[in-house]
Amino acid sequence: MTTLQSRQETDGALRPGAAPDEEALSRRALAGERGAWDVLIARHQRRVVVSLLARGIRVDRAQELAQETWARLIQQQQRGLLTELRLPHLALAQASFLAADDARRTRRESVDSTVEDLPERQQPVDPSQSAERRLLSEEQLTRARDALAQVSPGARNVFLLACDGQGLPHSEVATRVGLSVQRVRQILCEVRKKLRTALEEETHV
Amino acid sequence: MSRLTPHLTRDRTEQYLLGALPPDAAAELEAHTLTCDACARLLQEEALLDEQLYEVAAAASREAVVLRPARWHRPAAAAAALLAVAASVFLMLRPTQGPGEGPVPVPPVAMVREAPQEDDAEPLDIMVACPDLATQEHCLRSASARGLLVYHPGGMGEVPRYDASTRLPDVALSSRPAAL
Repeated sequence: MTTLQSRQETDGALRPGAAPDEEALSRRALAGERGAWDVLIARHQRRVVVSLLARGIRVDRAQELAQETWARLIQQQQRGLLTELRLPHLALAQASFLAADDARRTRRESVDSTVEDLPERQQPVDPSQSAERRLLSEEQLTRARDALAQVSPGARNVFLLACDGQGLPHSEVATRVGLSVQRVRQILCEVRKKLRTALEEETHV
Repeated sequence: MSRLTPHLTRDRTEQYLLGALPPDAAAELEAHTLTCDACARLLQEEALLDEQLYEVAAAASREAVVLRPARWHRPAAAAAALLAVAASVFLMLRPTQGPGEGPVPVPPVAMVREAPQEDDAEPLDIMVACPDLATQEHCLRSASARGLLVYHPGGMGEVPRYDASTRLPDVALSSRPAAL
């Protein structure tokens, strides 16, 4: 309750955008305030989970790893090891580290045990293929950029606001552009469809 | 057990990744991907696309910061000039328009371009990139009437010329340069 209220106050004081809001939250989180951590976690949790899913990790495991990511970050903060908190990048890096560690551990265990117990479940997708696809080629990027240039300016603005790496929640994007949250998500889906075809074009040729 | 939960569709997966599904539907979808490999793969592909979209957005917004009016295409510059004229006409007419008078015939394009700028509400930080030497004077006049900063093509104005390599400070561009 108090955290919500103070968050609104900072919002009102520093009106131009959520970047200062995020900054203030990070500062308070670095000072060890649990409320600030909660807000930050709620804001970036989905992004972390999705990044883990994209590595071919199962949903349940991805959520466990995301929880552990936050736990580790808070632990580091309590030990005074965190000097600055740049979310979501720090959380994404921590999550990918945990994922790699996890994969290594399961592989070692599978070597120890019998072949039948191989944890196929943990790696549903051929990892080599997904690793190759993870990095976008230059052509793909230019294709995507061309496709983005054809999208209407309003939709492009929504897309850039929602995906520019600050992790703005959709509700905030909606208030900034003056649309409803449903409409923002609809726009995001449309842009996504266009970009999907633009990105896939090259892989089929 | 697994037969009861439906397979994932692309739309539902997108909704899930956007966080738009209600919690019980999201939980059902998650439970299904744990038992169905094909759907787990679909979910992974969609999540991967999500990550790639972030990459695209990062690349696109980095590019949008660089201002090089000298290289603007002719048709785009002409369109921007038209817009500038229309917007300034709209601006000049608006204050004189009393509440009782009929609506001034304003080209609809100007109305559309006008609306998002007013949402920003802090016009002092908006930088206007003048498209062309031909329209520069007009652009300058209408922009200074609104109290905006003007970015001259020749780099002679109050705003210094930036090279493509030096990035403008992010604070100055919290809103993108608006073409009048």
